[in-house]
Amino acid sequence: MSENETVSSIQRSPRSRASTRKPKVNQIPFGVLLLLITIGMGIMLNIQSSNLALFFITGICFGFILQKSRFCFTASMRDPYLTGSTSVTRMVLVAFAITTIGFTAIKYGYLQSGLPIPGMGYVVPISFATIIGAFLFGIGMVIAGGCASGTLMRVGEGFTMQILSLIFFVIGSLWAAHDFEWWKFHVISKGKPIFLPDIFGWFGAVIVQLLIILFLYIAAEKYQKARTIKDQQNN
Amino acid sequence: MNEVVLDCMGEACPVPLIKAQNKLKELALGDLLIVQIDHSCAMKNVPEWARKEGYNVEVEEVDDGEWEVIIEKTK
Amino acid sequence: MSAYKELINKINKNEFYKRWLKDAWPYITGAVLLSLFQIVTLATTKNPWGVTGAFANWGAWIYEALGGSVDKWYYFSSDGAQATLQAGFLKDPGSIRNIGIIIGALLATLLASQFKIKKIKSKKQIFAAILGGLLMGYGARIAYGCNIGALFSGISSLSLSGWIFAIGMFGGAIVGGKLLVKYFM
Repeated sequence: MSENETVSSIQRSPRSRASTRKPKVNQIPFGVLLLLITIGMGIMLNIQSSNLALFFITGICFGFILQKSRFCFTASMRDPYLTGSTSVTRMVLVAFAITTIGFTAIKYGYLQSGLPIPGMGYVVPISFATIIGAFLFGIGMVIAGGCASGTLMRVGEGFTMQILSLIFFVIGSLWAAHDFEWWKFHVISKGKPIFLPDIFGWFGAVIVQLLIILFLYIAAEKYQKARTIKDQQNN
Repeated sequence: MNEVVLDCMGEACPVPLIKAQNKLKELALGDLLIVQIDHSCAMKNVPEWARKEGYNVEVEEVDDGEWEVIIEKTK
Repeated sequence: MSAYKELINKINKNEFYKRWLKDAWPYITGAVLLSLFQIVTLATTKNPWGVTGAFANWGAWIYEALGGSVDKWYYFSSDGAQATLQAGFLKDPGSIRNIGIIIGALLATLLASQFKIKKIKSKKQIFAAILGGLLMGYGARIAYGCNIGALFSGISSLSLSGWIFAIGMFGGAIVGGKLLVKYFM
């Protein structure tokens, strides 16, 4: 860590220092080897189907970015209440804002060309199932220590616990797929999808959404400041 | 001046941070808290929290994927 | 051998290696790059990024390998779902992308020389992983996705469902936080 090799301001007793560790085996060569294997896999997939190769490459990029930046959607929802930090929450909001602009631009382009708008499969009906599902998901991700993308990323980092939660994630998915007919006809079918441009128009929808994100960002920052002061007084 | 070692090896987020927050409350002024972690996210959020609180913080990579976060209770 | 060690030393001291591959990136870098690849994903595949849809397929394949059948299940009854199940794991783009996420994270960890197998520490962790996994799996299916598909992609698609999902999940996270502190710590 570069910042730690600077002159130490904290005086530690030498006894507590971890000086008797085994010499480290550097893992960079394994990383380079994996990179070569990955490239090979990409080429193989590309021969089969360029679409599969594309999904593979974007997956690699998502995994790499998530790990490097320690981006955690679970933390963005959990930390405000649990630890009082909203730094991840605010950055998730930034991601929402950027992606909203990009997505809307693509969709609008399709609309102008008279083509069917892509990605409308993700504008899903709003029903009690949305709230219940999200609520269950929220509980699950906090106690399992990671959401879906986070679980996959942590499997890659070597967490045995997340391998276990991934297995049960799959079982839970299958269980819900089994019950899906009931949910669909008793709950989900009672709601309908709401696409914001249908209400506010395209420009209006983007502006309304960006304003909401801006408001949440400011609220999150103010909350963190207030919480820090409150926690210090309690100490 | 005491040095307290908090073993959070194998603990996932947010457990190391909560344990560190609770432990630090018990310590006296000038004490050092050494949080041992092997969770790559905790290695970011524990120092971030401690710096936000205004404590002196250092992170030391002691082994592949293992860190010690040293927090000095300065106030 | 010494030449190899020298090379490793040189890499370790390299400023760009430290900044880009060794140290963690700021969250903002993650936010911008994830957004970029979300946009790439929508532009090239005509759908935003999703993760958990593939998990239901994984479950179906395992269930069928164990002798079960999902042919009569409403969830898998569409032609598209049947075709995906027929084609198998290696032809399912969503599954391949999920494998990509695992490999990408492993790659980032190895290049930073920070890989370590983290063993399960206690029975509490086993219980937390099982319960958490089941809740996430079930919740994601009935809410049409997870943090990525329903939340990130939903909100960015200007779908009100994304915001509703956010509210539900925020409530769940608070309850989960209380449970975690009380029972799993």
